[in-house]
Amino acid sequence: MEKKTILIVDDVEINRAVLAEIFKDEYDILEAAGGEEALAIMNGNEEISAVLLDLLMPGIDGLGVLKNMNVTGKIRTVPVFLITAAENRDLLLEAYHLGAVDIITKPFYAHFLKHRIKNIIDLYSYQNELESIVAEQVTRLNKVNRSVIAALAALIEFRDCETGGHVRRMSTLTWLLMQAVSERYPEYHLPSDEIDKIGMSAVLHDVGKISIPDPILNKPGKLTAEEFEIMKTHTVKGCEILQKIPDLVDEGTYVYSYDICRHHHERWDGKGYPDGLVGDETSIWSQVAAVADVYDALTSDRIYKKAYSHDVATQMILNGECGAFNPKVLDAFLNAKEKILAMYQES
Amino acid sequence: MDFFEEMQTLGVDVEEGMDRLMGNTALYERMLVKFADMLKETPVTDDFGRENSTEVTESIHALKGAAGNLSIRPLYEAYTEIVNLLRAGEISRAKDEIRKILPVQEKIVNCIRRHELEE
Repeated sequence: MEKKTILIVDDVEINRAVLAEIFKDEYDILEAAGGEEALAIMNGNEEISAVLLDLLMPGIDGLGVLKNMNVTGKIRTVPVFLITAAENRDLLLEAYHLGAVDIITKPFYAHFLKHRIKNIIDLYSYQNELESIVAEQVTRLNKVNRSVIAALAALIEFRDCETGGHVRRMSTLTWLLMQAVSERYPEYHLPSDEIDKIGMSAVLHDVGKISIPDPILNKPGKLTAEEFEIMKTHTVKGCEILQKIPDLVDEGTYVYSYDICRHHHERWDGKGYPDGLVGDETSIWSQVAAVADVYDALTSDRIYKKAYSHDVATQMILNGECGAFNPKVLDAFLNAKEKILAMYQES
Repeated sequence: MDFFEEMQTLGVDVEEGMDRLMGNTALYERMLVKFADMLKETPVTDDFGRENSTEVTESIHALKGAAGNLSIRPLYEAYTEIVNLLRAGEISRAKDEIRKILPVQEKIVNCIRRHELEE
């Protein structure tokens, strides 16, 4: 088996030599005579399995090295042992707070030291291995999620001949607008991985259209009041479909999909459907999806109308011709004009 | 009397020091010489003022760690006491301790140097 590597950091050569002698048979040894050198070695070497770190050194000291490892995130994967003659309790406590796994006081006993360090290195290796397996499985799960969602979306598009490409564009636009809103308004801020999930979930917003009879779904002219009432049920029906397949996607995607499916026709003034929610009673992602849905419908050819230009569609949205929207979402929408146009050009 | 026996009479715990180096006698001898070199580079002296006591504390702290690892007990214990006194601001008492340990330190360094020449 390949030897693991230990980095020994101490400004006193004798201390480095003592530690190197103890570990040289079982590990490859790297030495640094100070904090700066240690950080340079760590930045260029991903294979370090443990750091034996002196606390008091000139220049960047042991705490400085620990602080830097917190910034780079290395502290989570590489165990650091403080090997020190310092008895200052506050310093040692700070070292623990900065992520040192153990503090070994000089002079130490070689055999005990070997065992303590080996145990922790083995534990970290095991933990790092598990984390990489989990990360691999999450990636695989996300891939499956995307495939399932894409399959459902393709099904809707096949059924609804008016909306070819709409589902995909609306999903990308939701992602783009959600980013713009999140960046512009701290109260609506979301981490980027959540925004990715929202974009992916928006694909399913019209899944309920599968349940709408063909003569209504693909009617070339204006719907009668009765037909429109049936058309409106696609929101609730979509949720019923999703409820039957909750395990097909991960929980986060399911929650966003369900919410967007039900609420992407709600309006800021409460005049939307199916629940007549007012203002922020509708989640921000469903509010964003609503604007994306309307914009794409306006700028696409439909069986009953020609596509409007970006400027005309924007004006219609701002005038309230498609219902009222959150002014902050509209502001972010206006601000993202260039990105939206670029996105449509690409698609 | 051989080198290690003489070091033992000066209070050095040779057995423990060698044990720490996994029984590597040659390395232990080399590190003892290195320790004598450290003392040459940063000599322990009582000739300092309050203004540079931090610098003195740091250098004696480094010597303390090395002495501890090589099990040079009399020096390790004395340096520990001196560092504690310096950190507590007891400069005068620290200097008393330094004056007390200097002859012991000299004997140990002389012993190492003699052995080095014989080698």
